[in-house]
Amino acid sequence: MSTQNDQQAREQLIDLAAQFYDQFELGEIPHMSVPTRTKNNIEYDEDSDVWVYGDRESTRSANSVRGARKLLKAVYTIEFLADQLEQDRSSTLRELYYLSESWDNEEAQFNDQDESNGLIEDLEIVSGVTREDFHMRPEESGATIMGPLHLREQTRRGEREIHCQEDVGEGGYQIPNNPDTIEFLDTDADFILAVETGGMRDRLVENGFDEEYNALIVHLKGQPARATRRITKRLHDELDLPVTVFADGDPWSYRIYGSVAYGSIKSAHLSEYLATPEAKYVGIQPADIVEYDLPTDPLSDSDINALESELEDPRFQTDYWEEQIELQLEIEKKSEQQSLASHGLDFVTDTYLPERLTEMGVI
Amino acid sequence: MTSFQSTLGDEPGIAEELAENQQAISIAEFFEKNKHMLGFDSGARGLVTAVKEAVDNALDAAEEAGILPDIYVEIQEDGDYYRLIVEDNGPGLTKESLPKVFGKLLYGSRFHVREQNRGQQGIGISAAVLYSQLTSGKPAKITSRTQGESEAQYFELIVDTDDNEPEISVEETTTWDRPHGTRIELEMEANMRARQQLHDYIKHTAVVNPHARLELREPKAAFKFERATDQLPEETEEIRPHPHGVELGTVMKMLTATDSHSISGFLQEEFTRVGKKTADSVIDAFRDRHYGREMRWRSPATHEGIDLESVVTEATANKGADATAAFAGAIAESVDERDRIAHHELRADVEAAAEATEADHGTTFGETVRENAVEAVWLELIGAAGEDGEPAVGDDEASGETDESRLVSDLYDLVDEATSTRKDDEVVHAFAERLAARFEDEGSEDVRHRLTHRALSDHVDRAAELTEEYDDVAFGDTARENVVDAVWGVMATVPDDPPLVRELESDRDASSDLVDGMRETDIMAPPTRCLSPISADLIEAGLEKEFDADFYASSTRDAEVHGGDPFIVEAGIAYGGDLEAEGGVDVLRFANRVPLVYQRGACATTDVVRSIGWRNYGLDQPGGSGVPNGPAVIMVHVASTNVPFTSESKDAVANVPEIEDEIELAIREAARELKSYLNKRRSMQQRRKKQNVLGKILPEMATKVAEVTGREEPEIDDAIARIMNNVLVERQIEENGDGQAVSVVVENNSSTNESLEVTDIVSAEPRNLSDGATVVEMDGEWFVKWETEVPSGDEAALEYEVSAEAAFDLDVKGVESEKLTLTEATQ
Repeated sequence: MSTQNDQQAREQLIDLAAQFYDQFELGEIPHMSVPTRTKNNIEYDEDSDVWVYGDRESTRSANSVRGARKLLKAVYTIEFLADQLEQDRSSTLRELYYLSESWDNEEAQFNDQDESNGLIEDLEIVSGVTREDFHMRPEESGATIMGPLHLREQTRRGEREIHCQEDVGEGGYQIPNNPDTIEFLDTDADFILAVETGGMRDRLVENGFDEEYNALIVHLKGQPARATRRITKRLHDELDLPVTVFADGDPWSYRIYGSVAYGSIKSAHLSEYLATPEAKYVGIQPADIVEYDLPTDPLSDSDINALESELEDPRFQTDYWEEQIELQLEIEKKSEQQSLASHGLDFVTDTYLPERLTEMGVI
Repeated sequence: MTSFQSTLGDEPGIAEELAENQQAISIAEFFEKNKHMLGFDSGARGLVTAVKEAVDNALDAAEEAGILPDIYVEIQEDGDYYRLIVEDNGPGLTKESLPKVFGKLLYGSRFHVREQNRGQQGIGISAAVLYSQLTSGKPAKITSRTQGESEAQYFELIVDTDDNEPEISVEETTTWDRPHGTRIELEMEANMRARQQLHDYIKHTAVVNPHARLELREPKAAFKFERATDQLPEETEEIRPHPHGVELGTVMKMLTATDSHSISGFLQEEFTRVGKKTADSVIDAFRDRHYGREMRWRSPATHEGIDLESVVTEATANKGADATAAFAGAIAESVDERDRIAHHELRADVEAAAEATEADHGTTFGETVRENAVEAVWLELIGAAGEDGEPAVGDDEASGETDESRLVSDLYDLVDEATSTRKDDEVVHAFAERLAARFEDEGSEDVRHRLTHRALSDHVDRAAELTEEYDDVAFGDTARENVVDAVWGVMATVPDDPPLVRELESDRDASSDLVDGMRETDIMAPPTRCLSPISADLIEAGLEKEFDADFYASSTRDAEVHGGDPFIVEAGIAYGGDLEAEGGVDVLRFANRVPLVYQRGACATTDVVRSIGWRNYGLDQPGGSGVPNGPAVIMVHVASTNVPFTSESKDAVANVPEIEDEIELAIREAARELKSYLNKRRSMQQRRKKQNVLGKILPEMATKVAEVTGREEPEIDDAIARIMNNVLVERQIEENGDGQAVSVVVENNSSTNESLEVTDIVSAEPRNLSDGATVVEMDGEWFVKWETEVPSGDEAALEYEVSAEAAFDLDVKGVESEKLTLTEATQ
């Protein structure tokens, strides 16, 4: 399956190069168009319940020196990726950036990693092949799963069957870079609890929350990597598990929830593949801060700006979020997940989560 | 002085003693005292000035004779002395005129002439001669040959410094290789410390005289400046002086010299832009100044109850009732018809009435009768009739005390109108009364109420002062001026005949009134045929000749006038090339084609250059003001019949606002061209840079694309032309039977319309040319020419057929090379 996939990805890339070739031959200015990747250009797709790019496009054209350099780099990158696929190798985004230093043409070398990351995104969009299929991976994945799940992973060193509670240490099961190499065998889980911070994840594991409530605890590690979101979606779709997100009570955490549930702005072209629209937000909600009388920090200026920009973000334009965000702007306070410890170390597993999850109808 | 005054009585001989000490100052002494003014204050400067005067002279001499100047300057070192030799190819000089030209200070044909000329004071070359004589003790050696003479004349000339008379000490014939011209050799105490200024002078002279050939030979170097044009400057015409530009002294001299008898004739004959009408205006203005105006009082209104008829009747005796009544009626009627009447107008009315009555009734109305009538009516009009104790109207007596005089009410209305509304009515009234009193006083001397403007001002001032004093209110200068203007406005110019020219000659005051009158009158600007601007084209030619730059611009303004002298300002700018990029730009200043070398900082030209914001025009200007930096030369030429200089040495143009304005406009005009050139150059540079980068990137991209796709390298010229918004000219050839069909396609990708001239040189005869193309055969090659204009985004094609083995060579003009892509595509 994988080689066939690789072959297809490679052809897609070469088609892209051929497109430039034809443009040259026709006397046209070589160019490629990609959707504009900004907040203003994402729209809700009713069919798939996720946010995807709108109609606005940016053109990378050889009309200017800048544009010509971009296209030159694109062609060099295409060549590199095609070769990588052919040789069944993989590399990280950062490696690509450094690797460009070895290219014979200085004009084609990347100035910084943002540039090479952006170019990979461009190529994903234009060719319709995901980064994983190009064999490109982020520098660190490392997010983990802990819970009653039995799976089989296709590794370079052969197949491995792993139970995510019994076969792993306290650290849990490491999600691989491309979760599509995993096959789910069996599960006793009732729901998925995606947790933002490592500290809270460890608390839940220490308190045995996964065992007590048959929960799959997925560690998001801040803004979740694609692999984390992808596996979450697959767990939801294939095993029919409800997904809940447990994060801090501040605007940045709402965005983490947003990218799990609706897709991120940068990867809106992959929303259908990555986003889980059914995911629900557990907390910390601004309402919880009031209700549980949690210790707080005042909102900083950047928090307020972020909240206000979320009010304009199409992904957050629901009654629920508008109410919560406006409440937070009113109380001008935020709280971390760990602030629940002010009521005792077991408060989160004994009281808060059971109450919230019952309220949400998950348990 | 005081000490002389105090001892005046004691020593009666002091005046004689002083007179003995006074003696004629010799010309040598005069020169010694004034040499700084004439530009000979040091040995270094003296040499430059001598060169300058001699070269100016030589240029003028050749030009006046319609000869393209060819001037040779040599400086030889001779111990402590320098020998200056200047040769020209002018018409040469006769023995008679030669001593005067070179030897007599202030001799010149040009001082009195209103015509653009290099030298104007007649001091120049003779001062150099004198300087050389005074410092070296040697005579000036002059060789001259007039056209057609077989031999040249050689003279040695010295100036008798006691009486400013030149003397020829040696005279002989000699041989000279020039067919005509003049050579002067001066030996003088000098040094070459001002070598830079000397070079500047010669080089700059070459710039503004592109029609002249100059050569400078120094002890250790030699320079040649060739002609850039064979076109002599247009000959200037002398013009008569303009009334706005003459001084009193000049006018008095002209009055002495003129053949005209009347002032009107004098004005029309001796001045430019004065015709009959203008002369009349000038004379009216003169009359107002010289004689003053007469006050015009209001004619009596009905309610005033003044019965002029009975006044006249009473004043007229023994003329018969009918005639008297007719006479009186006619006068009363004509006075009534006027709004206001002055004494001379009344007299004219009375004369007319008398003539009419004489004609109708046959009664003679003699001078006395007329006088009486005029006096009676006038006194009535100015309200002075009552003084005789004979009230003109019966009921006047009773109310006489309370009724204000006619003059007061008349003046009250004028003053009330002229002053601000904030003035108290009482005050205005009091003022009017005082002013009227002045008129009444005036009436006792001159019943006609004739006042000059000055006298009127005095009266108004006096009345105003009294008002300020007694009524304790301010009556300021503006109010006074307004009142004077209002009253002067209703006063009438008198019809007195102006004096004749011979009467004016000796009357300084009257002449001064005439000059004032001339200045006062609006007169058309003087004609400009007396000026000879260099012209914008020749300025550029001159700059191109002497400065190796990338870009030249120039401008010539229309003529303007300052103080009666017409002037034209021209400017030129050279930029880039070999010009020095470091430091400030060079400012070349010229007046009447003569370079100004000294006193740069005192010159209006420099001031204007400093005041312009050069950053707007693309030149670097630290701090946003001052002389700009960069590889540029800015030149300014002021041509005028009388260039105003700051001093006699004529080194700097004075700050005359009219001239400064024109200098600024001229420079800005040229600077705008510079700006658009620099902008274009910048955009061409950017285009070139872009082309260079893309010219590297795109082929690499094409190679890579070919590698990745495993195909041959694609053709990228078309794409590049499009990217560069270039004009793409592409030849397409198709096999056509045994020949080939050629089409040269022009594709305009730029944002503007492009005009191209395409020449395709073909080695065989082309057939079936498309429209607009022509073909010329030359030495077995056929030149296919095609001119076309292609709109932005459009394309056009030249098509023809030619035999199969033909070769081609394509040449395109009209499009900058940066914007042009030429390709050959064979299909």
